[in-house]
Amino acid sequence: MMVPVRCFTCGNVVAEHWEEFKARTREAEEPEDPEKVLDELGVERHCCRRMLVSHKDLVDIVAPYQ
Amino acid sequence: MTQDYEVEFVERSDREARFLVRGISPAFANGIRRAMIADVPTFSVDTVRVIENSSVMFDEQIGLRLGLVPLTTDLDDFEVGDEVTLSIDVSGPETAYSGDLVSSDSLVGPADDNIPIIDLKDGQRLEVEADAVLDRGREHAKHQGGVAVGYRHLQRVEVVGDKGEFEDDETHILRGVIEEQAAEHVDGDADDGDLVLTEEFDSDLTKRYPGKELEVHDVENAFVFHAETDGSLSVEELTLRAVDSIRSRADELRDAVQL
Amino acid sequence: MDLRVIEKEETMLSIEIAGEDHTFMNVLKGALLETDGVTAATYDMNPEQSGGQTDPVLTVKTDVDVNALDALEAGADRVMEKADDFDAAFDAAA
Repeated sequence: MMVPVRCFTCGNVVAEHWEEFKARTREAEEPEDPEKVLDELGVERHCCRRMLVSHKDLVDIVAPYQ
Repeated sequence: MTQDYEVEFVERSDREARFLVRGISPAFANGIRRAMIADVPTFSVDTVRVIENSSVMFDEQIGLRLGLVPLTTDLDDFEVGDEVTLSIDVSGPETAYSGDLVSSDSLVGPADDNIPIIDLKDGQRLEVEADAVLDRGREHAKHQGGVAVGYRHLQRVEVVGDKGEFEDDETHILRGVIEEQAAEHVDGDADDGDLVLTEEFDSDLTKRYPGKELEVHDVENAFVFHAETDGSLSVEELTLRAVDSIRSRADELRDAVQL
Repeated sequence: MDLRVIEKEETMLSIEIAGEDHTFMNVLKGALLETDGVTAATYDMNPEQSGGQTDPVLTVKTDVDVNALDALEAGADRVMEKADDFDAAFDAAA
């Protein structure tokens, strides 16, 4: 639904980077390489990286069925 | 008998640091590490009073998300169990962010402002009062100030000779911090005694000492701590408070024994 | 910190320290082993699932001329000394 606030494994806060990550890798006209974006955002560990890479916002999808 | 500790920072920034401690026993190093994770208290939202929540998430889910938001903590002015009330009131269409939390105390507030709490659609509203409580990581992981706190031995690389002419060029991966002992074999600038992060040579010793036969040893009683915080405290504060918590327990034990 | 003495002799002490975990006990044990006159120091803690006691039990044995309780006090002192010295060294670097 919404991005997890923290990484499940290590507890690092990852949600603060979500919007920039989403904008640059998925919504931009020329999407950037997620690997590069995560490096630039300072999300180093692979446990934190998978939190963002594997996430999908679902609020827009469930909203009509409230 | 006094202890001769020597501390040296290898890397440091607001929320992350790597520091070397010499002369420390493994037991004490581990005690500090454990105390940094579980015994240094931080503020975290614990109870929420929902005034209105017409978002797509349940109250409990909102409560969980609020709980995970790191809050700045000043340990000089609060003690474990103290509460501070925060409130959030956002109407859609808009996303409610951690930065929308309004605190009743200027010392306690969200450490990061752009954590999305919930995406609100047209006509949806979130109004919540939340009580943040100061507690320890051993009560709940949301109270953990330290993130990924750990240590490694300081390592020493010894050049014992040249590699055989026909040996394979296998990588020799080493992570952590090394204390330079063979500067004369390094291409470029290096002095004996330098503390070098292995990332500087891509964590591959064959890149730093090409064509050499190597032996890696741990330096006894020298540990390199790596600590990150979630923003509620600085790394320095976290470390000192951890040591202090061990000290106060020893103090308590001594008083109890004397009686 | 609640202490409950389980066994006490002149040179041997077995004591339960309520509310503590490995964080403090291992540091204390380490400090005791470095203390003069202590011949053995250990602690035992059973995980909750095993059905045993959950509070750590510290056992100290000392040389004939050292009282075990005094040794424990010296061990606690040593932990405090370590903490103070670490503080000083850390502050000097920070």
